[in-house]
Amino acid sequence: MIRVEHLEKSFNDNHVLNDISVTFETGKTNLIIGCSGSGKTVLLKSIVGLHEIDSGEIWFEDVLFNKLNFKEKKKIRQEMGMLFQGSALFDSLTVEQNVRFPLDMFTDKSVEEKTERVNFCLNRVNIANANNLFPSELSGGMKKRVAIARAISLRPKYLFCDEPNSGLDPPNAILIDALIKEITEEYLITTLVNTHDMNSVIAIGEKIVFINEGKICWEGNKHDILHSDNEELNDFIFANYLAKQLRTHEGK
Amino acid sequence: MIRFLTEFGRYFLLLKKVFSRPEKFSVYYKQTMHELVYLGFYSVGIISIISFFMGAVITLQTAYNTENPIYPSYLIGLGCRDSIILEFSSTISALILAGKVGSSIASEIGTMKVTEQIDALEMMGVNSASYLILPKIIATLLFNPVLTLISICVGILGGWVAGTSAGVITSENYIYGIQYAFIPYYITYSVIKTLVFAFIISSVSAYEGYYVEGGSLEVGRASTKAVVFSSVLILLFNVILTQLLLS
Repeated sequence: MIRVEHLEKSFNDNHVLNDISVTFETGKTNLIIGCSGSGKTVLLKSIVGLHEIDSGEIWFEDVLFNKLNFKEKKKIRQEMGMLFQGSALFDSLTVEQNVRFPLDMFTDKSVEEKTERVNFCLNRVNIANANNLFPSELSGGMKKRVAIARAISLRPKYLFCDEPNSGLDPPNAILIDALIKEITEEYLITTLVNTHDMNSVIAIGEKIVFINEGKICWEGNKHDILHSDNEELNDFIFANYLAKQLRTHEGK
Repeated sequence: MIRFLTEFGRYFLLLKKVFSRPEKFSVYYKQTMHELVYLGFYSVGIISIISFFMGAVITLQTAYNTENPIYPSYLIGLGCRDSIILEFSSTISALILAGKVGSSIASEIGTMKVTEQIDALEMMGVNSASYLILPKIIATLLFNPVLTLISICVGILGGWVAGTSAGVITSENYIYGIQYAFIPYYITYSVIKTLVFAFIISSVSAYEGYYVEGGSLEVGRASTKAVVFSSVLILLFNVILTQLLLS
């Protein structure tokens, strides 16, 4: 479980996050949704400690993460996996080396054990025969899947995904969503997903937090979201043409 | 002034992070070996070519400017040797490496920054500054003196080829000249300068890359800044070290 309390974050005079308090539950895919520029990525990066927060508390189970020093944070960070918006695979390493990297860095496993774990992770994300390819030789969907394989290689307790579907075609986006949900349930991970993709919201949104202009405007799940009377949320959900048409049709 | 002091402070804070205890020596060792090849070994070609022609031009210019019967011709070899050892092989090579290696370091780290690869390292609990920069500093400190020694040898060879081919000096006189009144300390002086320049090139360029914010345009700018700042610092430290080591 991850608990955020009264989190504030600003960049110079730009107040990006305003009194954010929310709990993300274990074994569930927790979604943070909102328009571009609403503060989703800043919230995610603040939670994982990539941004220093101005005030507030971030708890990982019963550990106050934001008060830990670099060395103490390192321990918790080894329990985290993160899928970045652009995958963030290391360009100079092959697929296998990318997935192996956390194992090389933080474990004393033998080469055989590491290779076995790498192959298991790559199989888990349905990547076969790509061990020796470089990231530049992969498609967008494959890059995301390799990034997931790298994120789960150390068996994390927490998985963070920053817009996992951005730049993917609908079939691939569905695949990535399904993979994130499966992995979350399989390993009982606390998963946080940043997205503005409504397909993801409906498919995997077990807990949904809607952020608008740096504030939490609505909390619920995929079943409640379409029936909310929150104006800002409805403006966001029914912003696209197809959704608008469906809503009009349902109204009639 | 405040901006300069801020940047100066940030540079030393980065160095503190760079020289902290590595997570795993075996990974750093592998990375250092890779950088030795990439930053060091791959520079042998360019340094050799430049040194060869540098030596050739120094010999010809010395010959054409000392066409006087009272000067013994072996002084051409001596002049070529000392110019190469004292200045050209360390300073000019460092300026060339600031362009080749410095821009490569800044753009590599800068690209990793803007594509969130550095964030990915930090997320895993890796000290990204140390993991990315320390092997580069060690590699340049280890290999740049080798490059300087190669440059000295090739430069003197270039002088011999040009001098004898153009007929401005005989082979015997040139060889006598390069051995005449040789001061071994000049090699030490040259290597000390190279070590300082290597540290400037790798650390300043890494600093410029590590703090890039934005996109590809900013990475390009950081790469240019890395070359400019490294070159200016090399020239400044060249004067300081010369005064300190030769006075």
